[in-house]
Amino acid sequence: MSQVPSVRERRTVGLLKRLRLSRAVVNVILGLVAVFWLVPTISLLVISLRPESLFGESGWWTVFTAPSQLTWGNYTTIFSQGFAAGGVLDSLTTSLEITIPVTILVALISSLAAYSLVFGSWRGRDWIFLVIVGLMVVPLQVALIPVVQLYREMGNLFGLNPYGTIPGVIIFHVAFGLPFGIFLMRNFLTGIPKDLLEAGRIEGAGEWKIFYSIVLPLALPAIASLAIFQFIWVWNDLLVALVFLGGNVHTPLTIFLYDQTRSLAANYWIVSTGAVVSIFVPLIVFFSFQRYFVRGVLAGAVK
Amino acid sequence: MTSITTEEPNVTSPKASRGRGWWRRNWVSLAFLAPGIIWLLAIVVYPTIATIRFSFFDESATKFVGLHNYASVFSTDEILTAFKNNIIWVLVFPFFVTFIGLMVAVLTERIRWATAFKAIIVMPIVFSTTASALVWRTIFDLDPHIGVVNAIEQTVSDWFSAPGAYPLNSSTGETVASLATFNAKGGPGGTLVSSSAVQPGGTVMMGLTRISSVTLQTLGAKTPVAPHEMAAGIAGLVWNDFSTSQPSNTTSIVSDEHGLPNLRLSLVSSKGSSVASTVTDASGDFSFSHVAPGSYHVQILASNFQIAFVGTFWLGSPSLTPVSSLNQTAQSLLSVPLIDLAMIISYIWIWAGFAMVLIGAGLAALNREVLEAAEIDGANEWQTLRRVTIPMLAPVLTVVFVTMVINVLKVFDIILNMAPGSSQGPATTLALTIYNDGFTGGIHSGLASAVAVILFLLVVPAMLWNLKKIKG
Amino acid sequence: MSSVTLRELTKQYAGNAGLSLDSVSLDVAHGEFICLVGPSGCGKTTALRMIAGLESVTSGEIEIGDRVVNDLAPRDRDIALVFQSYALYPHMTVFGNMSFGLKIRKVPKDEIKAAVTDAARILDLEQYLDRKPAQLSGGQRQRVALGRAIVRNPAAFLMDEPLSNLDAKLRVQTRAEIARLHHRLGATMIYVTHDQVEAMTMADRIAVINLGKLEQVGSPRELYLRPANQFVAGFIGSPSMNFVPMHVESIDGGIRVVSAGGDMDVNLDDVESAMIHRAGVSDVVLGVRPEHLDHRPRSGRGLQLSASVDVIEFLGNDEHVHLSSGSHELVAIVDARTPLTIGDTLTLSASSEAIHLFHPETGVALK
Ligand SMILES: Nc1ncnc2c1ncn2[C@@H]1O[C@H](COP(=O)(O)OP(=O)(O)OP(=O)(O)O)[C@@H](O)[C@H]1O
Ligand SMILES: [Mg+2]
Repeated sequence: MSQVPSVRERRTVGLLKRLRLSRAVVNVILGLVAVFWLVPTISLLVISLRPESLFGESGWWTVFTAPSQLTWGNYTTIFSQGFAAGGVLDSLTTSLEITIPVTILVALISSLAAYSLVFGSWRGRDWIFLVIVGLMVVPLQVALIPVVQLYREMGNLFGLNPYGTIPGVIIFHVAFGLPFGIFLMRNFLTGIPKDLLEAGRIEGAGEWKIFYSIVLPLALPAIASLAIFQFIWVWNDLLVALVFLGGNVHTPLTIFLYDQTRSLAANYWIVSTGAVVSIFVPLIVFFSFQRYFVRGVLAGAVK
Repeated sequence: MTSITTEEPNVTSPKASRGRGWWRRNWVSLAFLAPGIIWLLAIVVYPTIATIRFSFFDESATKFVGLHNYASVFSTDEILTAFKNNIIWVLVFPFFVTFIGLMVAVLTERIRWATAFKAIIVMPIVFSTTASALVWRTIFDLDPHIGVVNAIEQTVSDWFSAPGAYPLNSSTGETVASLATFNAKGGPGGTLVSSSAVQPGGTVMMGLTRISSVTLQTLGAKTPVAPHEMAAGIAGLVWNDFSTSQPSNTTSIVSDEHGLPNLRLSLVSSKGSSVASTVTDASGDFSFSHVAPGSYHVQILASNFQIAFVGTFWLGSPSLTPVSSLNQTAQSLLSVPLIDLAMIISYIWIWAGFAMVLIGAGLAALNREVLEAAEIDGANEWQTLRRVTIPMLAPVLTVVFVTMVINVLKVFDIILNMAPGSSQGPATTLALTIYNDGFTGGIHSGLASAVAVILFLLVVPAMLWNLKKIKG
Repeated sequence: MSSVTLRELTKQYAGNAGLSLDSVSLDVAHGEFICLVGPSGCGKTTALRMIAGLESVTSGEIEIGDRVVNDLAPRDRDIALVFQSYALYPHMTVFGNMSFGLKIRKVPKDEIKAAVTDAARILDLEQYLDRKPAQLSGGQRQRVALGRAIVRNPAAFLMDEPLSNLDAKLRVQTRAEIARLHHRLGATMIYVTHDQVEAMTMADRIAVINLGKLEQVGSPRELYLRPANQFVAGFIGSPSMNFVPMHVESIDGGIRVVSAGGDMDVNLDDVESAMIHRAGVSDVVLGVRPEHLDHRPRSGRGLQLSASVDVIEFLGNDEHVHLSSGSHELVAIVDARTPLTIGDTLTLSASSEAIHLFHPETGVALK
């Protein structure tokens, strides 16, 4: 009897060893990949935390042997401007002022449109949907020049020229967020059984009430995916802001960074500090809603 | 509102239904759709049509010029360069992103810390390309005190050849020969050799010139002292034969001249073989004792002049491909600027997580038993991957690949932010030329619109193909 | 020699509290066709995957031929596995699917061609060699999966419910095909199924597993006639054996077994009495197969009962009659010509040989 367990143990250990060896190799490879992927982010953080005087004097990696280099100095410098135009805090606010309305508008308008396309009873819904999906192919570069002119016309006609203003940027972003938003929301809503709505109708609820009290709560996961995707997309946009905010004193963070590199090409320590501020918000969004984000990425493979 | 209770239309003739009843039934539904449709018509559909129209008009959009703008596209150097760079991006980037995404997705299935690993790889997607470009700009910086890549290159290059005490200045095109004088002439392999032969008991005087005062100061060079003859030995002096007080005196030692310390020398016999070696002292003196009778030359070794490490200018436009034998246009069209490579690496860092997520989802959806069947059929892991997993993943891989093609056709932010001003031109792409031509220095519509239409036409087939793949 | 031996094979999946396979020992001789049967989730697939090398062994030993294979990768075990889902390579043609294993092993091209053609002929797949699996019917896919196993000429075939995705008619047909294949190849086969009819018709021996434990191994005949316990008795045979809890009474120095309401009683012979006596139980579970209940009274030893007819299922030659006797429900198979109506009271009997008695707590057969 005492011999049998020893045979068993030997076998089990042998198998484990074989598994562990190949696992070890994979772990090492992926460990190296992970380090490679982390280096840029870490370097950004470290540069932002090292004093200006050390920049170009010694590499940021020397911080690992001399941690006393670390200082909040750069942050004090860039925050010292407060919310004055052109400062990083002003840019942070501007980024939020653009991103939040765009996110809400895209989520709301896409949901409404998708609701109509899925649960409406008029003909031609599928056809309209196909056209909207087709609009996903339009690169936004194609629309820039005419929209600038359209904004000018609006100025001429109504005295309201959105060019150079934050609403101008928002209007453009919403438009280019809609095709994907409607695509994603429609695909999700088609999974909701019509019977649920019929029940609401039988109780006499109007369309709007059915929309916000039955459909919207059910569609929340899809809306979350869409909103996070849209938020990060707009937060990180440079091109649209460059084109439509030209000349505005308030600029989003991407333009803040772009201007810094243009005008003070060597001030990496300030630029890095600004960059850390700019990635802070999307990082929080990402880590709090990682699951939704990944789902959005999966759905947004077409974008 | 309560009137909308009968949603299922018992319509017999659709035309008849477009009456009052139809509106009454459907106006709410249509009202829900209206904001989206109006928005899209105004800001997406109309402008696209307008751009197509602009592309046939002159810069101020007043005069019809037919295909003139399209002709200009193919005769404007800037846009041809943009085409070239877009082609480089399309050829290199989608392949590597898909490949790395695949490898990483396959390997993560075998580790316990897969969640953490995936978060690390995916994280860069949420950074703005602007911020990422800045990070990578520092990483590729020319200065090895700033850029990690050049710091690593320097460390590696120092292992193989440490810089000498008198490094040549490569930026001014300095060579060993330019340090030579009448009594020290250029020798083989970047050495300097005494002009006249010497026998044991004799002395050697080797004057050099153009040694920088900074170098002399750093090395603590002293006033040269004339060497003393020694029996059965060879003594000598190496000094910077240049006096600020007597610039024309090039034969004798002057008190404000400097001996050259720390020079590695060797004594070469008449047969050309090195018989002894030594190093000069602080005043530039040296000696070889116990030298066999014969005729000798003194050689200053090439390693003394070893150039200090100069980083690779990753962010510049030196070409990766040897094209110097071709004419100007062909050269510019075939050259691959180094910065393209640096930017592609950075862009891979940004997008590999996207590929990994998509391919990972594809992997998770595979029928595991098919992979096990391959294992039982005798395939090892590599064979299973190559002959079963990858073919089964082909649809996902192509979606990732095509999505990345579309992505780099529109590549913009990374170039604007990562390429220093001097490399923006050589690194430009179509999307960047639309911006530069269309918006910097006023708004010009003609040429920029033509490029935009071309970009559109390039993107459409890839996009439609992708949509079909995803839906069907 | 390509025997397969399991020694106290045990499996615990990571994260599962219980054992999915509990100390199973089994000897499969060279050329034998053995069926693993048992209810869903009992560990059949687990056992098969462990033999194939797809699951690690928690403890115990697996021997194929004369080698302990616990540490060997699946490709080194010289076995073929036919999956329940077929697991064909969707991107390869039928030919590609069948030849893959040989190609990997670098078998010369002409040999591969010969082997595949041969297998295709046996399985009647010759005209489909250029098709992809998606263009085949379920039965054809099944045969491709078999073909993929055959061409490799392995030491042992492992099959996991290979017929469960086929319709009833095709299943009967393919069953015969596999049986023929076994004769022809003379290979060792371990065949998993939860369908006891399949097991009875094909197997040389059947191993019944329940809750990860091996309940009984034996030829179909043994299992049918002498089930080792109540579980095996109920699992083998269709419709299932009738079980009735009975009370043991002493009469005239002998023993009689009576049901609670007294509607059934068994006259025991001496051997049976001695066994119950030895077990020292005052209750037993009586088992009798529906096909062994006769529609006539009996005078000698054996079971006698009266019951009323609840439901009649007409099957052509026979009828399945659901009956109730007191508080117990029974099924009997009777000749379809017997004139019966619902509500009739019948007297049924069974011979002494047809009666099984089980321990009331452990379920172990007393005779
Ligand atoms: N990968 C796994 N991880 C954890 N538990 C598992 C795993 N595979 C199977 N089990 C558990 O092990 C037990 C045996 O499963 P197994 O698949 O062997 O059953 P089976 O006899 O093949 O059933 P079926 O007839 O339904 O195929 C079940 O309780 C199941 O839940
Ligand atoms: Mg199973």
